[in-house]
Amino acid sequence: MDLNKSICNATVEIFQTMLMMEALPGEPLAKRGASHYRSVTGIVGLAGPSKGMLAIHIPEKTALKITSSFLCMEVDAIGDDVKDAVGELANMVAGSIKADLLEDSKEYKLSIPSVVCGAEYQIECLAASQGSIVPFTIDGGEFLVEFHLQG
Amino acid sequence: MGKKVLIIDDSNTMRKIVTRSLRQAGLEFDTILEAADGQAALEVLEGEMVDIILSDINMPNMDGIEFLRQKQRNDKIKGIPVVMITTEAGSDILNEAMSLGALGSIKKPFTPEQVQEILGNLL
Repeated sequence: MDLNKSICNATVEIFQTMLMMEALPGEPLAKRGASHYRSVTGIVGLAGPSKGMLAIHIPEKTALKITSSFLCMEVDAIGDDVKDAVGELANMVAGSIKADLLEDSKEYKLSIPSVVCGAEYQIECLAASQGSIVPFTIDGGEFLVEFHLQG
Repeated sequence: MGKKVLIIDDSNTMRKIVTRSLRQAGLEFDTILEAADGQAALEVLEGEMVDIILSDINMPNMDGIEFLRQKQRNDKIKGIPVVMITTEAGSDILNEAMSLGALGSIKKPFTPEQVQEILGNLL
C-alpha cells in the first residue's frame, strides 16, 4: 500500500481537472498532530473493514484562492463558500484515494465532509493508525493532505 | 420549449462547477434548477418537469439512493433520466443507483468532455 503515491495522484489530478492548478507534492512530513494557524480543514471519515480519515489543511489565504478558482469569482472572506469548497475538495480527494488504495473499496463508505476553521487548532486522529501527511504547493500557497487508516 | 436540468448536490460549490461544466461541454439548458438534497429535489419536481437530473449520492437528509427510490414510486417523474455525479465510482452504492434506474455516472473529478460524452447521448 503506497499511501504517499495515492495521496499525490489523487490531489494532483483533482487540482488539475477541477481547478486548472498545478499542485506540486513535497516530501511527506514525519510529525503528526501539528497546530494549524488561521486555516481551514476539510475532514472526511472512512468506514468499512478498517477505519480511516482524510484531512486537508489549508491556510486561509490559500483557501480563498482555491475557492475563488472553484467558483470563478473573487472570494475575499472565510465564510460558507470557503467551507463548502474545502469540504468538497476533501470529499473528492478521499473518494479518489479510497478507489486507488483499497482493493476492497466497495466495502468502504465515506462520511459527509466536516470543516473546521479558526485562529489555532489541532486535529488528532486515530493514534494507532498508519498514515501520511503530504505537503503541496500551488501558485501562491501551500496546503497539507493527511490520510490515516486503522486496522 | 427549452431544456431543463435539475442538479442535486449538498455542495453549493459542486452545483456551480456542474453548471459551468455543462456550459463548457456545449450542453445548452434554458433552465438550470438546483436542490441541496433528495427531499428538496422531490419538492422542486412537484412544480417543475425537467429533461434530465444530475445527482450526487452522498448527501445529508435524503441521499441520492433514497431519492431514486422515491422517484421510482412517482409515476409523474419516474421517466426522467438520472445521471449520478459522485466520488463513489465502481462502488456497490453506484451499482445500487443503477439498479434503481440511474442511466449513467460521472466520477468526480470530471472534465467538461466527460460530461459531454455521457450526457450528450441522453439528451
